[in-house]
Amino acid sequence: MSNKSEIIRKEKVVQSIVIADTFTDEFVPISDNIPHALLPILNKPLVDYTLEFLSLGGIEEVFLFCSVHSDEIKQHVDKCIKNGDGWTLTMKVNVTVSESCQSFGDCLRDLDARGLLRGEFVLLEPGVLSNVPLLSLLEKHSEIVKADKYAAMTLILQESGIGHRGRGLEDILLATDSLNRVLFYKNLGSRKTKKIEFPMDIFLENSSISILHNLKDSHISICSSSVLPLFSDNFDFQTKDDLIRGLLMNEEILEGTIYAHVLQGSLFGGAVSSWRMYQSLSQELMKKWIHPLTVTRNKNRVLKNNVVIGAGTTIPNSAKISRSILGASVSIGHNVTVEDSFIFSDTKIQDDVVITHSVIASNCTIKSDSKISLGSIIGTNTVLENGTVIENALVQSKQPDNGDEYVKLGNKAFELKVSSDDDGDSVLSTTSKKPYRLHITDIESDDEEDDDSDGFSDSEEELSYTQSPVPDDTKLFFSEVIDSLTRGFDDNLLCDNLILEINSSRYAYNVTVKEVNFNVVKAILSMSLREPIGVQYFSHLSRLLSYFSPVLKNYIRNEAAMLDCLQALEDVATSGESFKEKWVIAILQHMYNKDYLAEDIILEWYRNLDTDGKFVEHVKPFADWLQEAEEASSDDEDDDDSD
Amino acid sequence: MLDQENLSDVSNLVSDIKHKKIYNSFDVALKTEDLLEKLILQRQWKSARELMKLVKSRIKFIRDDLPTEATATNVMRHILKIIREEYESASKKKGEGQSLHQLVTSNSSDILDYSESLSSLRSSILDHLGEYKVEIESSCDNIAAQASEHIHMDEMIMTVGKSHTVEKFLKCAAKDRNFKVVVVEGAPFYYGHSLAASLAKSNIQTTVIPDSAVFAMMSRVNKVIIGTHTVLANGGLRASSGIHAVALAAKQFSVPVVVLSHMYKFTPLYVVSNNHEAFNICASPADVIPQSAGKILNDIEVYNPIFDYVPPELVTLFISHQGGNAPSYVYRLLSELYHQDDYDM
Repeated sequence: MSNKSEIIRKEKVVQSIVIADTFTDEFVPISDNIPHALLPILNKPLVDYTLEFLSLGGIEEVFLFCSVHSDEIKQHVDKCIKNGDGWTLTMKVNVTVSESCQSFGDCLRDLDARGLLRGEFVLLEPGVLSNVPLLSLLEKHSEIVKADKYAAMTLILQESGIGHRGRGLEDILLATDSLNRVLFYKNLGSRKTKKIEFPMDIFLENSSISILHNLKDSHISICSSSVLPLFSDNFDFQTKDDLIRGLLMNEEILEGTIYAHVLQGSLFGGAVSSWRMYQSLSQELMKKWIHPLTVTRNKNRVLKNNVVIGAGTTIPNSAKISRSILGASVSIGHNVTVEDSFIFSDTKIQDDVVITHSVIASNCTIKSDSKISLGSIIGTNTVLENGTVIENALVQSKQPDNGDEYVKLGNKAFELKVSSDDDGDSVLSTTSKKPYRLHITDIESDDEEDDDSDGFSDSEEELSYTQSPVPDDTKLFFSEVIDSLTRGFDDNLLCDNLILEINSSRYAYNVTVKEVNFNVVKAILSMSLREPIGVQYFSHLSRLLSYFSPVLKNYIRNEAAMLDCLQALEDVATSGESFKEKWVIAILQHMYNKDYLAEDIILEWYRNLDTDGKFVEHVKPFADWLQEAEEASSDDEDDDDSD
Repeated sequence: MLDQENLSDVSNLVSDIKHKKIYNSFDVALKTEDLLEKLILQRQWKSARELMKLVKSRIKFIRDDLPTEATATNVMRHILKIIREEYESASKKKGEGQSLHQLVTSNSSDILDYSESLSSLRSSILDHLGEYKVEIESSCDNIAAQASEHIHMDEMIMTVGKSHTVEKFLKCAAKDRNFKVVVVEGAPFYYGHSLAASLAKSNIQTTVIPDSAVFAMMSRVNKVIIGTHTVLANGGLRASSGIHAVALAAKQFSVPVVVLSHMYKFTPLYVVSNNHEAFNICASPADVIPQSAGKILNDIEVYNPIFDYVPPELVTLFISHQGGNAPSYVYRLLSELYHQDDYDM
C-alpha cells in the first residue's frame, strides 16, 4: 500500500479543499460568536478533527476556505502549527479567505479563479469527521477516470440503518449502474417522502440497475479537475446537490458523470451540518466509531453514562448528568440535572437547574431553578434569570438588531422568534410538526407515527420535480421560436438567419430534434391563427407559409419529421383556438403541394387518428381526396401496364 | 524549553506510526534506534546527563502521544542503559581500575551524576549502538533458529492472528520437521487468514478455525505458539484480543503456551487496569456490528478492544533471541535490559 501511495506522491501533491462555512443559519445564535469550524466537539475545535482526518488520509495540501470569522480560523490554524499538532508534519494548510462568497458554489468558483488546484482533489463540505483512507479512494477515482474521461466526481456515501441517530436528515437515494455510475440521485433530506418517481430512461438504457436507499452523505467527494470549471460555468449551482442534479439532467451538455462509492466496514464519514448531526457525531466520536479520531485524553475525562468533561469542571455529588458533554471550567450547582446536552466552556449553572436536549454556549450563566429543554440553543454570554423556563428556543445575549422578532427574557437574554414561513431549512422552524434541533428519543417515535398519517400529502408535491424541468425547457424553447419567427416575419429577415437562431436556441434549451420539428411547425401554425379571420385570411396564410417555406423545408426532411409536423398540426387544431373551417385542409393542401408531406405519410397518420374527435372531420375531405387521387393514379398506372 | 522545537525527529516518528507508514514492531524498533543514533551523532551535548535528558524527553513525548506504543520507548530505555554503561566504563578507565575493595565498599551515595564531559563517550556509545542494531536486526532469525528445539515431528501447533515472528518460526521449523498448524482466525480483524495463506504456500499443513472452535480443538493441540505486542513487567502479556481465551483453554488442557518475543518487547511497566486507556485501544465498533444495524446502535455500547491482557500464570515460556525464559524470570531480564532509574519517568 505504501508503495502505491508513494507513486501517487511522486506524481503530484495530493490536495484537498475544505469549505469552512455552512452558509445556513442552522447554528444561530451560537454561530454569531463561534465560527462553525471552531465549534467544540468533545472540547476540541471541529476543524482539528477534519485536519487530522485529512492528514491521516494522506492529504498533503489543504485549502481551508472561509468567508466569515476568517481571522479566528486563521489564528487557530497558526496556533496549531506553532504547537506542532500531528497533522502539521505531513500537511500544508492554506487558509483562503473570500468574504464575498455567499454559498458553497461561490467558494468553488472563487477557488477556480485562483487556479490553485491541480488534478484530482478531495472536496469536503463543512465539518467533516471521518476515518476514510483518502489515497485509496483517489486511486479508485483515477481508475474510473481512465475508463470514463467525463467522470467528474465520486461521491462517498455511508450506509446507515433505519432508526439510527444520524439518520433522517441526510438520507440519500441513488440508482447506479453496474459500474457504480449514478443515474438517479435524490437527497431525501428531512422530509419523509413516501413515494419516489424514477425517470423511465434509466431503466431503458441500462441492463442492470442498483437502487440504494439506506445511505447517508459523508460530505466527502473525490473530484476531477473538471469540477471547479463546472461550478464556474454554471452560476446557478449553489451546492453540491445542484451540481449533481445538473450533471444528471444535462449529462451530454455539461459532459460530466458522477460515481458513487459506499464505505464498507469500519470506515466512517459524516459532517456536522446541523445540531442533530452535531449530537450524533459527538456520540459516535465518543463511542469510537470514527477510530482513530477519538476523545483527546489529556484534557478530557470520560465518565460513566457517556459523560465527557473538560479540565477544571466540577460536578457536585447531588448533580445528575448523563449523555452530555461539558466543556472546560464549567461549574455545576447542587441538584442540577443535565441530560443529552452540550455545555461549552466557562458556563455557570446554578442550583436546581434542569437542562435537557439543549446546547449552551460558553460564558453563560444559568441562574437557579431554570428549566431549559427540547432543543433550546443558548448563545454565548447569555444570562438567564432565576426560574426561567424555555422550551425549543433560540436565546442570545444581545438584542437582535436586524428587526427580527424577539422576546426579552432578561438584560442579557433575548429569545429569537423564527418566523414560521421560513422556507429555508425546515429543521430551524419552530412549528411543532418539525423535528426538534436535537434528537429526542421518546418524542421521535411519536413523530414517526404522526407522519405516517399525513406523509402522503407531503410526497405529492415532491413528485413533480424529476419531470418538471424538461417540459419547462421545451416550453421556453417554443416561445423563443415564436418570438424569432414573428420578428423575422415582421422585419422580413432572411429565413436562413432564422434557422440559425432556432438552432442556437435548440442547444440552449437542450431539446431533441423531434421536439424541434414539432415546435417549429407548431409555432408557424399558431402564428397563422393570430391573423383576424376574414376574407383576406387564406391569401394571408399562403403568404405566411410561402415566406417560411425555407424554414419548413429545412426541418421537414424525412418521414419522422413529417409525422412530427402532422402531429403539430393536430396539436394546434385541437388546442381549442378558433380557426376557419377550411384551415386544416388549406394547410395540408399547401404542404402536400410543396412536397413537404408525402401522401402515404398523411394517409397513415390519418388512419391512426382518433376517429371520435372533431379533428378527423376536418381532415377527412382531404384524406378522401388523396385516396381518390391515389386510386386514380394507380388506375392510370394499371392502364399503362395493360397497354 | 529549547528542546520543545527540536522534538521534530520524534514527532515525525509518531506521525509515521499514526499514519501506519511503519506498523510492525520490528520497523518501529529499527526506526527508533536510527533516530537515537542520529541524535547522538548530530546533536550538541556535552555530558551523558544532557544526552540522557534529550532521550528522556523523547520517551515522554511518545508516552503522551501514543500511550500504547511500547517498542519505541523500550528501545530508548535500553539505549539510556547503554549510555549509562558506557559512561561508567569510560569514567572508570580514566581513574584506576576497579578493585574488589571498591566493589564491596561502594554504596548508594556514590551515585554517578553523569555530568562529566568525556571525549571518548560519543564514539563508544555509537559503537555499542551498532552492536545493538545488529542484535535487533538478527533477533527474528535468532528466534526462528530455535524452532527445531520446540516443534517436534507430527505435532499440532496452534497460533492466533498474524505475527511475523511466529510465521518465520514455523517456516523455519518446517524445513526439517513435519507438523500441522491450526490458525485461529482472530475475529473481528481476521489477520489469521493471511498467516494461514502464507503458511500453506510454504507447504505447511494448515487449518483455519474460528475463535469459537478454540476450546474444541485444544485437546488435540500439542503447543500454542503466539506472538505478543508487549511483555509486561510481571510476565503478563499485552497481546491481540482473543489470545486470553486461547491461553485459558490451553491451561484447561495443560497445553504449553509459548510466546515468541523480541527483547524490545519487554517493558518495565505493569498493567494498571485491564481497560485503562494506556493499556488498551478500542477500535471502531463497526468491525463487530455494522453501521447499518440501525436503531439498536442508539441503545447499546459496543467495545472492540484490540488487546487482551494475559496474566503470567497462563504463559509457559518466553522465547527471545537469548533462549527460553519462564515468566517469573522476566524481572531479571528487565534489570539486564534497563537501568533501574529508567523504569518509570
